[in-house]
Amino acid sequence: MSILTVNLKHLYQRRGLWLVYVFLGLFAFAGVVAPLEHPGAGKRHYIGLVALAFAIGLLVAVLPIEVLTKPFSYCLPGHRKVVRRFIFWVGVIANLLGSLLFLGYPGLNSGQLVLVVCSAFCAGLIFYWLGVGLAFGVRNSVAWIGLWPFVILGGGFFGLHIVIERAIVGNPFGVILVGVLSSVLAWLWLGDARLARRYCGVPGIGFFDAWNRDKVQKYRQVRAAKKWDKLKKHPSPWVETFFLGRMNRYDHVSTGRYIWGGLYTTFGIALSQLSQWKAAFLSVFSALVLVCFLGYMGPGRNILFIMPGLMFAQMRLPVYSSMLISGGRKERYRCAITLVITEAVLITVLATIVAALSLPLAAIMPDITLRDITFAFHAMNIELFFVPLLMIPIVFTIQLIYYRKPVVMMVLIMLLFMVLFFGTSILWREQLSAVINPMYIVSPVVLSWVLFTVVLRYICMRRCLVGQGRTN
Amino acid sequence: MQMRKVCKRFGNIKALDDIDLEIHPGRIIGLLGANGAGKSTLLRHIIGLYLEDEGECVTFGCEAGKLGPKELVRIGYVHQEGELLEWMTVRQLIRYVSTYYPNWNRELEEKYVADYEISMKARVGSLSPGQRQRLAILLAIGFEPELLILDEPAAALDPVARARFLDLLLQIIQAENRTIIISSHILSDVEKVIDHAVIMKEGRILLDCSFDELRERFSRVRISALGGELPTELPFENVVHCQRSDGKAILTVQDCPREKLQEQAKSLNCWVEIETLPLEEIYKIVVS
Repeated sequence: MSILTVNLKHLYQRRGLWLVYVFLGLFAFAGVVAPLEHPGAGKRHYIGLVALAFAIGLLVAVLPIEVLTKPFSYCLPGHRKVVRRFIFWVGVIANLLGSLLFLGYPGLNSGQLVLVVCSAFCAGLIFYWLGVGLAFGVRNSVAWIGLWPFVILGGGFFGLHIVIERAIVGNPFGVILVGVLSSVLAWLWLGDARLARRYCGVPGIGFFDAWNRDKVQKYRQVRAAKKWDKLKKHPSPWVETFFLGRMNRYDHVSTGRYIWGGLYTTFGIALSQLSQWKAAFLSVFSALVLVCFLGYMGPGRNILFIMPGLMFAQMRLPVYSSMLISGGRKERYRCAITLVITEAVLITVLATIVAALSLPLAAIMPDITLRDITFAFHAMNIELFFVPLLMIPIVFTIQLIYYRKPVVMMVLIMLLFMVLFFGTSILWREQLSAVINPMYIVSPVVLSWVLFTVVLRYICMRRCLVGQGRTN
Repeated sequence: MQMRKVCKRFGNIKALDDIDLEIHPGRIIGLLGANGAGKSTLLRHIIGLYLEDEGECVTFGCEAGKLGPKELVRIGYVHQEGELLEWMTVRQLIRYVSTYYPNWNRELEEKYVADYEISMKARVGSLSPGQRQRLAILLAIGFEPELLILDEPAAALDPVARARFLDLLLQIIQAENRTIIISSHILSDVEKVIDHAVIMKEGRILLDCSFDELRERFSRVRISALGGELPTELPFENVVHCQRSDGKAILTVQDCPREKLQEQAKSLNCWVEIETLPLEEIYKIVVS
């Protein structure tokens, strides 16, 4: 089996990627359907697949980088060029297929059509190389793929797709020239030995590794060991004194000591950061900006109450810790439950304060008109304060169960996010919110906490807490 | 510490299979075995991080899964994963961990920090693997535990640090009623300190005996003919391995007392040397 064939296997062997393909497939489908439904020229519906090339480029480049970061991969003599061939041919084939869509472009004769297809192919390649460049140029570029939908939406809002479509159809020679030049440059750049050397055997975060705590931790350790990590974050002396003082108030066998220890290891660093005036000012300023931004988002402003739950998915409960201190399973359980209650209450209070800030702002914030669309400022639905209380225990329940399956965990939490986001957006229109009984709110909140407590207790008392046993 | 008929499965893999083990105070026990033999699983059962599917595991008179602070302040554990709190400085981490232990020994801490050149100001996340391991060892021994469990403790240490570490273990064991269980692949190091060996394979204990007994069970006999050829049939029993060439032979013999070997050797008109096998060789014979 050739190395190129082995490389191609990455495209289907990683099951997590299938989810990405579903999203890409949906986007590609929309990109094909749009011009078929609206076949008119200059109607900016032909550009979807060209833009998609950027995401494909990023994805296709990230996979070989992951292989490169493992020792003895393409770093061996004669293997370096495989990466270039792989990326190049995927790009050519994907964009060739994508550009065929322009065969249906109206109002052109056959000669012009061929030219426009070539131009679309080259435009796709330009986008593709941008994605590849981002993957290779920026370390751990995977995170950028999350911004892609916003770029698409933002580009659409500002009419970027019209500009691109006009360039492809109106100035094919220019686009072809840039496309060919960028491809030649990309070919030379990808063959450069220095590029391979930069990645060979150097640990990095792969496509789905961002959700894999063990890998992220290892990566951070390596980076820190190489003194790349300039942040030097550690708890402030007052934070340490405060928490250790609280711990020392309790007897050595008392659960209180473990609870304060857990609070220290969970909030110590955040408190230390917030105690610096710069960070505190930045936090208040960010809260204000957030309120202003969300106020103009219409029903989407409810995200204020949902986002914190999503952020907490990355937080680690002291259940699966292999760093042995003198706390037993019971102490782990009590400590974890206290931490989650503290977090839920804190987040609820903070989100409610931010929502309350929006109430006086609603009276003074002006309407904003952008490209003939008027955005009015609305105060947050403060009655949604219960959402973090509902969401946080569910998020932690999912985290506890799928601790070793980060992709499943991520998908489930995203689903929960969407259900709550759309659910609150639909339900909290004035007509419906009036008929909602408080019991409809209290019941799911109580249920979510009961579920979390039961799962946490079961895991703490009856399951293996470290290593492979976590999943069994 | 007692394990009786302990079984543990991870899916289709039987990680521990009918384990019976009893560990008495005052010993340094070497837990040996290939990767996946079940060493870490066994150690994690002792401290209650894993729960047995069948059987019973008792540590300090308490069911391992129910170990609480009272028992755990008597157990030190250096684990394979090397998980520490990355964002603290070394000094902060030591202070934090020591808060859990009433008998934390500051003198020992200072001595260890000086001997092992641990930088107290460094951030834990920025330590090299070797430094991390030194810190993990300090956190496990700082409160002078009665039971010290070391799961691959020296893997990231350089040879000098490893030698110091072995000396440290010997110092620790001098105190009464201390027990150390050490799991390691570096058998040449392990054999310098252990007085009891437990060899595991595929989740089962193949051998559980004192190290002296183990060393007596296996011998290497080097035979050189003083003139001419060696006899075709050599008069030794229980030969595990035999290598012959040009009037010389090297035999590995099992369960044959040294005196008997010397008697058998006398019947040969050869130069005979009987020597003890290193642990690595013994291990290979036992697991094969």
